[in-house]
Amino acid sequence: MAGVSPAKADSNFLDDTSGSKRKFRLRRPDRWGAFSFLIVAVLCLPIAAVLIQVGRESESWDNLVKTVLGGYLLNTLILVVGVGMVACLVAVPTAWLVTCFEFPGRRILSWALLLPLAFPTYVAAFVFYQGSESAIPFLIWVRNNWGIDTYLIFELIIRYSTLIIMMAAVLYPYIYLACRSSFAQQGRTVLEAARVLGDSPRQVFFRVGLPMARPGMVAGLALVTMEVINDYGAVHFFGVPTLTEGVFRTWFGMGDKVAALRLASIVMVSIGFLLAFEQLMRGRAQYVEIGDSPAPLARDRLSGVRGWLAVFLCLLPLAIGFFYPFGKLFRWAWLHLTSDAGFLFTSGEAIARGTGLAAITAIFMPLLAAVFAYAVRLRENRGRKLMERAAGLGYATPGAVIAVGVLVVFGTFDRWDVPWLPLLSGSLLAIGFAYIVRFFAIPLQFSRAGMDRVGRPVEEVSMLLGHGPLATFLRVDLPLLKGPLIAAGMLLFVDILKELPLTLILRPANFETLATTAFSLAKESRLQACAVPSLMIVLAGAIGLLVMNRLMVKPSLND
Amino acid sequence: MKLTPILILGALCSSVLSLPGHSQDKELTLYTQRHYAFDEEVHAKFFEKTGIKINVVKAAADELIVRLQEEGENTPADLFMATDGGTLHRAHEAGILQPMTSKAALSKVQPPLREKGSHWVAMTKRARVIVHSKDRVDPSELSTYEALVDKKWRGRIVVRSSTNSYNQALLTTVIDADGRDKALKWATGVRKNMARPPQGSDRDQVRAVAAGLADVAIVNTYYLGILETAEEQKDRDAAAAVKVFFPNQDGRGTHINISGLGVVKASSKVGLANQFIDFLLSDEVQTLYSKNTFEYPVVDGVPLSKRQKVWGEFKADDVNFSVLGDLNAEAIKVFNEAGWE
Repeated sequence: MAGVSPAKADSNFLDDTSGSKRKFRLRRPDRWGAFSFLIVAVLCLPIAAVLIQVGRESESWDNLVKTVLGGYLLNTLILVVGVGMVACLVAVPTAWLVTCFEFPGRRILSWALLLPLAFPTYVAAFVFYQGSESAIPFLIWVRNNWGIDTYLIFELIIRYSTLIIMMAAVLYPYIYLACRSSFAQQGRTVLEAARVLGDSPRQVFFRVGLPMARPGMVAGLALVTMEVINDYGAVHFFGVPTLTEGVFRTWFGMGDKVAALRLASIVMVSIGFLLAFEQLMRGRAQYVEIGDSPAPLARDRLSGVRGWLAVFLCLLPLAIGFFYPFGKLFRWAWLHLTSDAGFLFTSGEAIARGTGLAAITAIFMPLLAAVFAYAVRLRENRGRKLMERAAGLGYATPGAVIAVGVLVVFGTFDRWDVPWLPLLSGSLLAIGFAYIVRFFAIPLQFSRAGMDRVGRPVEEVSMLLGHGPLATFLRVDLPLLKGPLIAAGMLLFVDILKELPLTLILRPANFETLATTAFSLAKESRLQACAVPSLMIVLAGAIGLLVMNRLMVKPSLND
Repeated sequence: MKLTPILILGALCSSVLSLPGHSQDKELTLYTQRHYAFDEEVHAKFFEKTGIKINVVKAAADELIVRLQEEGENTPADLFMATDGGTLHRAHEAGILQPMTSKAALSKVQPPLREKGSHWVAMTKRARVIVHSKDRVDPSELSTYEALVDKKWRGRIVVRSSTNSYNQALLTTVIDADGRDKALKWATGVRKNMARPPQGSDRDQVRAVAAGLADVAIVNTYYLGILETAEEQKDRDAAAAVKVFFPNQDGRGTHINISGLGVVKASSKVGLANQFIDFLLSDEVQTLYSKNTFEYPVVDGVPLSKRQKVWGEFKADDVNFSVLGDLNAEAIKVFNEAGWE
């Protein structure tokens, strides 16, 4: 019985802890599991209720395949590739500049470059489409001098490129945000090493910076692509029908639910692939980063012409994606408010109601997501991972599909006539629930990333001290998650204010969000009046973004 | 300190959630496709007069039909309103409307502006006309919708996307009058003559004609009214640069469509609903509509507004609106085949 070797003792000790952990988790294994399963089931129910019908017979599917499907796919592809490329071209260099160099206005530009994200694509489209009218004299000149066929080609090029530039100009911040964090996070040591080893700043960018930005770039690109694929308003305005427009047209115009759902599943499957690809590329890098970071990078000072060139490069996307559309909207809103401001007062109450629901949902949803993320993390196995993915499914689903799914599910409940249950159809609950299904992925991402930061050791200490999982969650995780959850809430609030297709289908009586108000007025071709709610969406979005930026960003970027 | 957020949340919840999903005794719930701010003024006037409040749900008509079907017996809706006769017909076919008993509807409006079984009734009319440049087109060059396929119009026409229900309705009447094959040829021909692929709204088409990009556009008349009264000078100039032409006057007449409404089958407030319909069809409200939304009245004897008189009187196509509903899906297929985006 010689003494146990220290190594052995050590491993015994480890075994013990893991044993106690396992024991502890076995004690009530199913409550959290059942809870997360329940959430996933409820969230997926409306989507499943609709998608189950894909296999039914469709009257117009053959006609669609023969006539328009190819065009839908081609347009979608052109936009995805075009917008993705332009957005990367804008986002990566600007992110590089504001993290690695010092130049006039860098601090302000660093957060101002996020602002274009405050523009919903349909609002920007509405402004840019009017702006593209200024190309008409040139087009007429082309037609008179070079003939109608050349003119038609020019018209096509101008329209597609305006749409692509406009979408890239309001969506690039997704990529910018991701790249900026990856530069700032991993940057310092690597970049400084590269400099010490004799690389010029340009070489550092191409040999070190760019490869390093890849995971962030891909993550941001995935979001951009999702926005492009799911966009309905902008493509409609510019007459570039994509798959999503096809879904609406087929479903609500032709009344062919099945064919529309098949189009929608093409959308969902491609987004699914995209997300899988993103996961693959991202590996362990995180998109959402919270908390403190390594010491600030020593930035190279760009002086003279080069400094101003950097300023210009950063101002350019900002000018196209924010100042130009903002200025236009402001002028229209001014024109309207100085002549007749009646509408705001007539629909003020309804708008307050919509905004109130958005606020409640944005407060409640992050909490739910945090509990769910915690439950999933308690025991990380394949099943739970799958559940986590499934819970975010709504983010890849077109809003109209979710809306109709909720109608089907709640309609069925109502027909059961449960005595103590109030009618759910057409209630605020229905639309609130639909928002949760649609956007659950956002707070989930934030909670997940936040919890990974908190780290297991802290939780384990709490559990070793005898606190149960619930107490640990409430006392340890939740307080530490405050920042990310507030950030998620802000983002959700803005996203709900911007949401259109789902709100239009499900909203209860006398219920307007800023987006639906803007939509009504745009439908009525009241451009100037429409600018007022649009401007309010943009302002709310800008404030949300700034708060989020404050909560998320490393001090090194702002100092 | 810690209580403040909870209090705010509580206040928010109670103020938002306390709203009844279903309307009270002196209230009607209206599912409508009409997005006009002026409709709210009409509802306010109705409330002033009768004390009945109108709760409004606005969305695209076909989405509302899907919603009414899913909600079934339990729907909070009492009335369904749409801006297309075909859609109204489809709502009736879907079995979500009940025959109406409004006196005004039965006495003042006759088929085809009222469904034969009185499941819906029109409240306003709109004409889909040809608008042409005052300078570059002489009205004598224009005659029918069908004549727009002539080679002389190559590169001179603008129309919006075929996703729009007004275009779908127009095509159903062409299918009805000329047959599917000729209609396909027509859609293909018009598409070929377009000065640009379909995009934007009716308003943008008028502006394109005014800017000189095209010479003629197919639009609804009331968009001109909107432009004529817009806050922006450019819009008013655009309206002044064009003129209305009513096509097919020697044949079946200019295509008109309607805004109309029906009483939802599951509604138990038929009495209140009748009061509302009577109100909408009263001379007073009919006059208001022609002045404010620039739509035509459906009740005989109600005078046209000044603006409408300038556009001119015309012969309307009296096709039965059930045709618009029955042929709508077919029309979209024809548009698909014609390559009219």
